[in-house]
Amino acid sequence: MKSILVLVRKDFANFRRDRAGMLLTFLIPLILIVFFGKVFGLGGASAERPGIPLAVVNQSTDPLVNKFIDALRKEDSFTLITTQPSANGPRALAESDIRPLMQADRFHFAIVIPADAISTQGGVHVKYFTNPNNQIETEMVSGLLQKVAFTSSPQLLGRAMQARMRDAVGSTRTEAFDHSLAANIARTFGGDENEIFKSLREGGGVFSPPESPAGADADEAGVGLNRFLQQFVHVEKEQVVGADVKSPQATQMIGGWAMQFLLFAVTSSAAALFAERERGLFQRILSGPTRRSDILWSKFLFGMILGLVQLLVLFFAGHFLFNIEIAPYLGRLALVCICAAASCASFGMLIASIASSQEAARGFSTLVILLMSALGGAWFPISLMPAAVQTMAHFTLVFWAIEGFMQVLWAHATLLQILPTIGVLVGITALVMSVAWWRFARGAIFD
Amino acid sequence: MKTDFSFLSVRDVSKTFGALTALDGVSLDIPRGEFFGLLGPNGAGKSTLMSLIVGLKSPDRGSVHLDGASLDLRGRSQLGFIPQGIALYPRLDARQNLAIFGGLHGLRGRELGLRIDELLAAVQLSDRAHEPVKNFSGGMQRRLNLAAALLHRPKLLLCDEPTVGVDPQSRNAIFELLEQLNRDGLTVIYSTHYLEEATRMCSRIGIIDHGKILTVGTLDDLLGQLSFRDEIRFPQNDRTASFAQALAPYGQVLNDENEFRFHPSPNFALSAFYREAETQGIPNRLIQHQRPTLEALFLQLTGRALRE
Repeated sequence: MKSILVLVRKDFANFRRDRAGMLLTFLIPLILIVFFGKVFGLGGASAERPGIPLAVVNQSTDPLVNKFIDALRKEDSFTLITTQPSANGPRALAESDIRPLMQADRFHFAIVIPADAISTQGGVHVKYFTNPNNQIETEMVSGLLQKVAFTSSPQLLGRAMQARMRDAVGSTRTEAFDHSLAANIARTFGGDENEIFKSLREGGGVFSPPESPAGADADEAGVGLNRFLQQFVHVEKEQVVGADVKSPQATQMIGGWAMQFLLFAVTSSAAALFAERERGLFQRILSGPTRRSDILWSKFLFGMILGLVQLLVLFFAGHFLFNIEIAPYLGRLALVCICAAASCASFGMLIASIASSQEAARGFSTLVILLMSALGGAWFPISLMPAAVQTMAHFTLVFWAIEGFMQVLWAHATLLQILPTIGVLVGITALVMSVAWWRFARGAIFD
Repeated sequence: MKTDFSFLSVRDVSKTFGALTALDGVSLDIPRGEFFGLLGPNGAGKSTLMSLIVGLKSPDRGSVHLDGASLDLRGRSQLGFIPQGIALYPRLDARQNLAIFGGLHGLRGRELGLRIDELLAAVQLSDRAHEPVKNFSGGMQRRLNLAAALLHRPKLLLCDEPTVGVDPQSRNAIFELLEQLNRDGLTVIYSTHYLEEATRMCSRIGIIDHGKILTVGTLDDLLGQLSFRDEIRFPQNDRTASFAQALAPYGQVLNDENEFRFHPSPNFALSAFYREAETQGIPNRLIQHQRPTLEALFLQLTGRALRE
């Protein structure tokens, strides 16, 4: 044990003298975190973040279409482009502008709402132009457009349904249907049948609201129809987990970033085994009362401690820079950090045991780290990946480490709740170290 | 029974690496306090033998004992080993390097500090103690490399070509320190392919090639084994032809293309040769006298030069 401690102290002394190593382990990750934090608008800067540019050409005069465009404008994730600079000042964007501007990469998404958007042939007619060079962005925009259409302007859909019905069964029978519907509503729920019929016709075939309760103010009565209609597609939202997280985005991202930096730092330290071998240091050390296993344990321990320090530095930086709350969960966070650092250290040892040289170790580890980070959810949510890949993600230490960080910082899980994740990380560490040990025993690193 | 002659005992040790036989039935006995030279060309098996003695490799066959006991982990603390490379941490300073290697041998605190001071002085690096090793010259690094093997006061020091690429000043410093340590009782095994190093320092020399110890003995013993005798050469001309005839009763005279080669009989005094030459009017500058050397012995034993 004394030999292990001497060797760990040696590694730290060496590390303190290694300016490049210090920079890559602490300063560069900090700079990148600050940089990406600014890029992603973390730490309260999210309000300044512009939404995805969406060009809108409105050729319709229908008030429902205007309501739809207003709803789009209110959506934070969009920045609406409706005008185009010209010699005489900004002018309204025309359909003919769309293609050239998209080809000039001014925006990737545009909708054109034609004059007959709510056509007599039935349906809402909207032209949607895309440059899907980013799959995630494209899916996000499509989802947001649908959300706005369903939640903000249900009358559009109702109007479309009425139009389609007229097209299918004719105006007379549609009107008869509306009369019949109004009569049924009046009979069942009360109210004036004629008023209900009028409301149905104006509201696009959707039920009109009951009369505003007595005493309700004029404004409430005025928006009554809208509110009522919205109830049909109203999504009752309740954030079950993470509602009290102070800096949600930063909290979600910091774990993934930290894991990547950690893997690079720890793998690099393990790859230093090759440099020590080439200098004949193992010959000198092993000619004394030191075992091979002492060298391996010391390297693992050094990697783990270095990784733990790096993780804590990055989380504290996240706290001070982006207001990530860590103080109430410090004990559990430290526990996850220890296990994450241990699993990364074992990964570094495995790479060193497989590779034939320091250069090979670095190249191979870069490949595996990037792959593992992508699969493990350090770059984007794994729910965006195919099912098979999501299953594979469970075999990466990055996934489990991020899971642990999120359990602590996002879900504020108790010690008991994080134990399974801790168990998996410890299991990964044990398994990977066993393989590394076996490889070292068969390899030539100590020869 | 443990005898002084078997302080280090290597018995019938063999080691192969795949198809290559690095050591083939090597046996050696090194008495306490000896300065033993292991002489051989590159690839002869010197480093493999060193590695087996210090426990870096296990023999396929045979045994190694130090002071009558097999070399387990505890036994290895009696060994000091200077590897062929400069086995130091280049970013750390001289003192830090020595502290690590001392620490691995269980030295701590004041005892370690004093020992480091002592050894830095011995290798003339006290004034550079706090400088990173990477700033040192090759010779300084070699001296520190030696000091790192001595911290724990080993009983047996194994030096695997410790002066490769060293300037004459550092080489002398290393020689003087090793000789001093040997005088103080340290047993040294010194592997080299430099004849002058072996002849200067070693009380006994073993010649190794192709994994086999070809011969072991003192320098005189070894030269005595040499079938090659003194050879005196002088050019052929009218005057030397009669001189060569006169020498015939006292040895073997060979007539080469342009010169005579005279191998005197063992009881023939060389002074008589030079007297006769003077009598015949043959100047000394024409006479080349070759004496037996370790190099010649090596050539005879292995069929190749030492530095091949």
